[in-house]
Amino acid sequence: MSATGKSSTQLALRDPDIRLMLRVRDDDAGAFEELVELYQQRLVALMHHLVGNAEEAEDLAQEVFLRVYRSRKQYRPRSKFSTWLFTIANNLALNALRSRQRKPMLSLPAQDSGPLGPRPAEQLVRDRGSGPMRRLERQELAERIRQALEGLNERQRMAVVLNKFEDMNYAEIAEVMGLTTKAVKSLLSRARENLRAALSSYIYMDGERVPEGSD
Amino acid sequence: MAKASPLSEQERADLVAYLDGELTGEAARALEAKLSLDPAARAEADALRRTWELLDFLPQPQPSLRFTHHTLQRLAPLQADEQRRRQRWCIRCLGLGWVAALLFSAWVGYVGYNWLVPREPGERELLQDLRIIENKRLYDHIEDLDFWRALDAPDLFGEETSNS
Repeated sequence: MSATGKSSTQLALRDPDIRLMLRVRDDDAGAFEELVELYQQRLVALMHHLVGNAEEAEDLAQEVFLRVYRSRKQYRPRSKFSTWLFTIANNLALNALRSRQRKPMLSLPAQDSGPLGPRPAEQLVRDRGSGPMRRLERQELAERIRQALEGLNERQRMAVVLNKFEDMNYAEIAEVMGLTTKAVKSLLSRARENLRAALSSYIYMDGERVPEGSD
Repeated sequence: MAKASPLSEQERADLVAYLDGELTGEAARALEAKLSLDPAARAEADALRRTWELLDFLPQPQPSLRFTHHTLQRLAPLQADEQRRRQRWCIRCLGLGWVAALLFSAWVGYVGYNWLVPREPGERELLQDLRIIENKRLYDHIEDLDFWRALDAPDLFGEETSNS
């Protein structure tokens, strides 16, 4: 067995998602559905954070799954399955964001997550605080954070989302985005600085003492 | 107006990497030393950390209940298309197989016929060998090729030279 073949087998043995994808590759009935069930939440959330619109996020997440299905016969396990999946998601999301820049879309407010209004989970997050004032504050804060995130360029946003919500380290982000680790470091540093500038008035709230030397 | 950052771009990149647990060794120790001595740098680190924590306030979007169903629905035409392509490929392979089989059997027939049924010489071949056919009666007396070659030697049948 060649070195590559050996390492692929070892990877497949370690990562259950690779085994699942190999079943999809072998046209195992039901494996694809299992894969969709397993990754839908993460992909929809990632897309939502990137495009800021629930319907578009679902559409893009579905497109990612269709691309996975289409390219299943070429799938070779070289790294973690999620890295491969998020590389596809990255390409698709960046294309969508770029084409959106070319033909601007009307962005819906955050509370209009779906055609029927906010989804139960979103409502739950909003309702976690006590009382309507608190809820309103949280809503406003979430909206400001969303705006700050949208203010980043698409690559910074992708790096932030992968790092913050997917818990990916710099090396994994670099692999997904096709960058060097050094470039990811610089991208995340600038992204965090931009977010800090955009959210400066929300960093110290409720009468907290601003540390000495802060803005 | 916001104050200028107490850190250079490189130092800030190191600080962010440090907060993310990505800075190790000498670089991490140098940064820790700077943070312990410089309150402005400490404040910057705190602000960056808090900014990062603010992202936790973003709602975690959930897929719709029919997400899997819709995805599989979108998959159906793709599968049908693949099936059609596979069928087309099979039909093409079958057609090519038939053509190959026909060509092969034609070749086998041709070779077999020629092997089983000896061919009559054609007019051209007869004309080519006319001299041999005409002299066949004489050639029959020749026992071997060496004798036949010897007949060509001028010493035996050459013209006699006159000694005049």
